[in-house]
Amino acid sequence: MIIENTQTQMRKGILEYCILSIIAKGETYASDIIAELKKAQLLVVEGTLYPLLTRLKNNGLLTYNWVESTSGPPRKYYVLADEGRIVLEQLDQTWRELEFAVQTAIGNRKKGDKPGDATNNETSAS
Amino acid sequence: MNKTIIININGIIFHIEEDAYEILKNYVTDVKRHFMNSADSLEITTDIENRIAEMFSEILVKDNKQVIIEQDVQFVIEQMGRVEDFDNIYEDDPKSAAGSYTYSNTGERKLFRDPDNHLIGGVCSGIASYFGIEAIWVRLAFVILAFFGATGVLLYIILWLVVPRAITRADRMAMNGQKINLQGFKNNLEEELSAVRGHLNNLHQEATPFVYKLRDFISEFFSHLGQFFNGAGKLLIKTLGLILLLGFFALAIVLVVGLVAFVGFGAAHDGNPFNFNIIESAYANKIYVSAFITAFIPVLTLILVTIAAIFNTRHIGRSAGTTLLVIWLCSLGVFIYYAAKVARNFRSSGEFSQVINLKPASGNVYYLKLNEAKYLSHDDSLRLNVAGNFVHMTIKDDGDDNDLEPRNVSINIERSDISQAVLIENFRAQGFDEEDALLNARNTKYIFTQQDSVLKFDNKLRRLNDNIWHDENVELTLKLPLNAKVIIDQELEDKIDMNGVNVGYCKGLDKHDNATSATYIMTDDGLQCKIDTVVTAKTPAQIDSTRRVDSLRVVTRLQQQLDSARKAGSIKK
Repeated sequence: MIIENTQTQMRKGILEYCILSIIAKGETYASDIIAELKKAQLLVVEGTLYPLLTRLKNNGLLTYNWVESTSGPPRKYYVLADEGRIVLEQLDQTWRELEFAVQTAIGNRKKGDKPGDATNNETSAS
Repeated sequence: MNKTIIININGIIFHIEEDAYEILKNYVTDVKRHFMNSADSLEITTDIENRIAEMFSEILVKDNKQVIIEQDVQFVIEQMGRVEDFDNIYEDDPKSAAGSYTYSNTGERKLFRDPDNHLIGGVCSGIASYFGIEAIWVRLAFVILAFFGATGVLLYIILWLVVPRAITRADRMAMNGQKINLQGFKNNLEEELSAVRGHLNNLHQEATPFVYKLRDFISEFFSHLGQFFNGAGKLLIKTLGLILLLGFFALAIVLVVGLVAFVGFGAAHDGNPFNFNIIESAYANKIYVSAFITAFIPVLTLILVTIAAIFNTRHIGRSAGTTLLVIWLCSLGVFIYYAAKVARNFRSSGEFSQVINLKPASGNVYYLKLNEAKYLSHDDSLRLNVAGNFVHMTIKDDGDDNDLEPRNVSINIERSDISQAVLIENFRAQGFDEEDALLNARNTKYIFTQQDSVLKFDNKLRRLNDNIWHDENVELTLKLPLNAKVIIDQELEDKIDMNGVNVGYCKGLDKHDNATSATYIMTDDGLQCKIDTVVTAKTPAQIDSTRRVDSLRVVTRLQQQLDSARKAGSIKK
């Protein structure tokens, strides 16, 4: 249970960051986002994406345009809003800090000579 | 070969196989339920539906086919993800994120009637669930309200009509404030289908006109009433039954006492308490007894049935019941026969009148008084030896002994067309034919005496041989000349119907409340109350002067007392 919780929290934290990053490349359709996320093995089902997109849109980070589709109903193409761009820059900063922190922690563990630390980590992970 | 259904997803038409449709339908329902509490539920579900439609279109194009089959739906669901998978990432609630799916009681509560925990219609129980309290308190409140002009009853019925019954599981969960998420429902197909059907039913009910709603209400009401009487109502019924039983017992006792009184005293003519005896003594007892049985058997039956109902004992045996019924019918027959015989004596009426010319009174003044002398028959006078013992005395009628006899004398006072005063006596009685009725009317005696200006009226019409009552009565019409002064005793009005002459009222108008009589004048319009113009009331000036004298007197007396007290004090010193 604890491991699941931690994993969920971790994913949840970076998921919005990833979505914003993908959309930042240009007008994006939801299934494109899904494809990218699947490629990154971050997300498995589409259903999760729609609530997230709606929330980000409602927070003013995203906007969308309706585009006619040849196969099926009109599609929503998402674009990053100005506010979203600012948030994304802040998140970039945060991510670099996090990366450093995590790398430092992992690096310490890999280099670590003390067997006691390793056992502690293992027990907490299991 | 499979049946296909045509569906419309946000404006795009698809042909879909029936079993595939069921799966899709369930999935969409799940999704909608999942996002129900979210503010953006419509937008999210529309996005998802649009995406599903798009995926279907792609599948159809790719496979070059026309119908969506089960595998396609499964594929799309797999892409989109099951509702369980949504939660893990999106939900803000850490509990949900941690994967605990217990019913949280934080969902919005809705008001429903509770079909599982009801006494009558489940209204109280539903309200209790809504506020999260025990149902007993709400019920108590309704019972108390019911005592204030039945407000509670009315309110209950209105709520019963207005508040929907919790039919589906979703309704019940909403009633108890449980969050409606998919985990609350078992994911099997059957239950979901029934929920969908329930919603369809609901939709149907919403659309039905009020008449049908009322009909449903009434049928529901009676089925609940039945359950109510079987259950909680039993105690109430038993209490009511006991009260009824006591009432029936009292009635039975009254009947028995009545029978004894009638058979013991009613039939015997000596000391008859009922002076107007309408039944001939030959069959009096038969009629009393048959009347008694006719009334007593139903009361007895009611007592037995009530006892059987209250104490759950066996009902009256068939043979006993039949016997009682036969006896009752017989006695009813006897009673009707004799009652008809008695009624026959009242079939026709006879009437005759006689005119008495009154001697002119001095000064055209008439005193109308009650005849106080007791009426004595010839036998009575012999027995009492009136001639020897009561010489120059009047034996007075105390008026107590005949109170039960109906009044049979009435007086009308009218204006006479001639100058002479006239009394018209109109005798009337009933009989089985006109001749008999006339004879009955003739067989009476009315005593009226005139001594100069004093007219004395008896308060009764006597039957000469005191037998059966035939509704004998006499209507007197006193015709007085114009401007005759009439002084009527209060006593006369007390004992005889005066037809509109109100002595007490006239006395009041004349400010003579303590007088024993009132004065009237015969005018063109009939008798009018005469009001004395000579009023001996004191004028305000007179009253003031007497008061002043009185107060002066009081002051002098006080002064004297003071003086004497002072004197006594100085002596002591």
